[in-house]
Amino acid sequence: MIEIKNIFKNFGKLKVLSGVSTEIKKGEVVAIIGASGSGKSTLLRCMNLLEAPTFGEVWMEGRLLTPVDPYLHEEVIEASNTYKKLIGEGLERDAAIAKIREEDLLNEKFSIAEGKEYKGKIKKIYKENSIDINLARRKMGMVFQQFNLFNNMTVKDNITLAPIKTGMYKGMGKEARAAAEAKAMELLERIGLADKADVYPSTLSGGQKQRIAIVRALAMNPDVILFDEPTSALDPEMIGEVLDLMKQLAGEGMTMVIVTHEMGFAREVADRVLFVDEGIIAEEGAPAEVFGNPKHPRLKEFLSKVL
Amino acid sequence: MWKIFSQYWKILIFEGVKNTIYLSLIALFFGTIIGAFLAFGRMSKFKPLSWAVGAVVEVVRGTPMLLQLYIGVFGIPMVVPKEVRPDFLNDYFVMVAIVLVINSAAYVSEIIRSGIQAVDKGQTEAARSLGLSGFTTMTQIVLPQAVKNILPALGNEFITVIKETSLASTFAVGELMTKYDEIKSVNYNAFPAYIVIGIIYFVLTYSLSKIMAFVERKMKHD
Ligand SMILES: Nc1ncnc2c1ncn2[C@@H]1O[C@H](COP(=O)(O)OP(=O)(O)O)[C@@H](O)[C@H]1O
Ligand SMILES: [Mg+2]
Repeated sequence: MIEIKNIFKNFGKLKVLSGVSTEIKKGEVVAIIGASGSGKSTLLRCMNLLEAPTFGEVWMEGRLLTPVDPYLHEEVIEASNTYKKLIGEGLERDAAIAKIREEDLLNEKFSIAEGKEYKGKIKKIYKENSIDINLARRKMGMVFQQFNLFNNMTVKDNITLAPIKTGMYKGMGKEARAAAEAKAMELLERIGLADKADVYPSTLSGGQKQRIAIVRALAMNPDVILFDEPTSALDPEMIGEVLDLMKQLAGEGMTMVIVTHEMGFAREVADRVLFVDEGIIAEEGAPAEVFGNPKHPRLKEFLSKVL
Repeated sequence: MWKIFSQYWKILIFEGVKNTIYLSLIALFFGTIIGAFLAFGRMSKFKPLSWAVGAVVEVVRGTPMLLQLYIGVFGIPMVVPKEVRPDFLNDYFVMVAIVLVINSAAYVSEIIRSGIQAVDKGQTEAARSLGLSGFTTMTQIVLPQAVKNILPALGNEFITVIKETSLASTFAVGELMTKYDEIKSVNYNAFPAYIVIGIIYFVLTYSLSKIMAFVERKMKHD
C-alpha cells in the first residue's frame, strides 16, 4: 500500500528523520509510538508529502510520489560518471556501489556532472512511475490532532467539498452534488451526527469534530487513513467515542497508520507497532512483543514512563 | 462658520468632496486590485519575485507620502524628455492619483498578505490532504476565512486614504483641502473654514467606519 524507502528529513540544520524504511500492507493497522519531538508526525506527514522528504522515496500502490532518489537505484548509480571513474580506478561493481552509497558521492546538486546517461535514467524512472500528488492524496486520508474542519463551511459541506471538487461522482453538477450529499448523510448517520449536518464546526465538541474529520476522510473512499494523535486534543471523556470509531474502521479492514500516545489502544488494535527514536525506527514488531518484551533500552525507558 | 458654509457650499460639497471621494475611490479600487497581486507576488515560492515585490512594498511603506507625491508630480516628468513625454505626466491630477494608487497598493498588499497568513495552516493541510489543488484550497477555504481578517483592516486603510488625499492639495488638484485654500484666499478668515473642512472629513470617515462595522457584523453571522 505505502512503501517508504530510506527517508531523511531535515529542517534546516535539525535532522529529524535519518533513514526510515517500512512498508504498510493492505489492511494493516500500524501504530507509531515514541517520545514527543522524536519525529512521529514528520514521518506520518512524509507519507502523504505534507512534508517533502529531504532524501528517500515514498511509493503508494506502486506509484512514486517523491522525486527519484538516485542512491536507491543501482542502475542509476551505474550510469553515473562517479561510478565509471571508480570502476576505472579498478573497483569491483558491488564495491563501487557500496562506496558511492556510503560516502554520498553522487553530485545531486549539479546532476549534469554525472552525465547524460545518469540524468536520462532518472527521468525514465520518474516518467514511468510517478503519479500526481493530488491524485495520490485522494486515496490517502489524514486525520489531524487539531481536527482542522473547515471553519467556513457547514458539517455537510466539509464532507462533500473534496468529493465534489475532485469529480469523484460522475454526472452533471447537480447529480454529483446529490450523490456526495447522500454519502455524507449516510456517514453522519453512522456516527449519530446527522442532526449536525447544517451547523458550523465552531458549535461542536472536540469529540464530534474529530469523528466528523474521520468521516470527511472516509467520504473519499480512501485506501488508507493516516492519523496524527487523533485523541491528544480531546477532553478525556471524549477520547472513547473517537477510539471506538477507529476500532470499527480497523475491524472493517481499513488500512490505518496511527501516531498515538494511547498505548492501550495501540496494543489492542495495531497489527504492528513502530517505535521511533532519534530519527529512526529503533524497534518494531507485534504489539505483544513491543509492549511485552521490549529490547531497545530507549523503548524500555519510554514504556516505563508512559505505562 | 455657517456663513462660510452657505457661501461656499457649492465649491466645498460639489467640487471638493467630489474630488476627494473621486481620488479616494481610484486609490482604493486600483490599490486593492494591485495590492492583491502584490500580496500573492510576495507570497510566491519563486524567490526573486517575492524578494522584488517585498522590496518595493517596504520602500513605499517606509517613505513619506508627501515625498512620493513630489516624486510623482515633479520628479518623474522632469526626467522624461519633453519630446517623448506623454500628456498625462504633466497632469497633476493623474500623477497624484497614480501615486495614491501605488501607495495604497503597498499597504493593502500587506493587509491581504497578513490576512491570508493568519488563517490556520491546518486548514490548508486538511484541504491538501484530501487531494484538493492549491488553487481550490485558496479559493474555497483560505480566502473566505481571510476576508474576515482583511475587511476591518481594509476599512481602516480606506479611512487613511481619504485623509491622505488632503496632501494632494499641495498640488492644487481640487480636492477638499485645495478648496480650503481657495476659500481662505477670498475670505481672509481661515479659522471657520478649517472647522468646516474638518467636519466634512469627519462626516466622510465616520460614516465609512459605520458602514464597515455594519458589514463586519453581517459577516459574523455566517
Ligand atoms: N516545519 C518544521 N520546521 C522546523 N522544525 C520542525 C518542523 N516540524 C517539526 N519540526 C521539529 O522536528 C522535530 C520532530 O517533530 P515532530 O515530527 O512533530 O515530532 P513528534 O510528532 O514525534 O512529537 C521537533 O524537534 C520539531 O520541533
Ligand atoms: Mg506529533
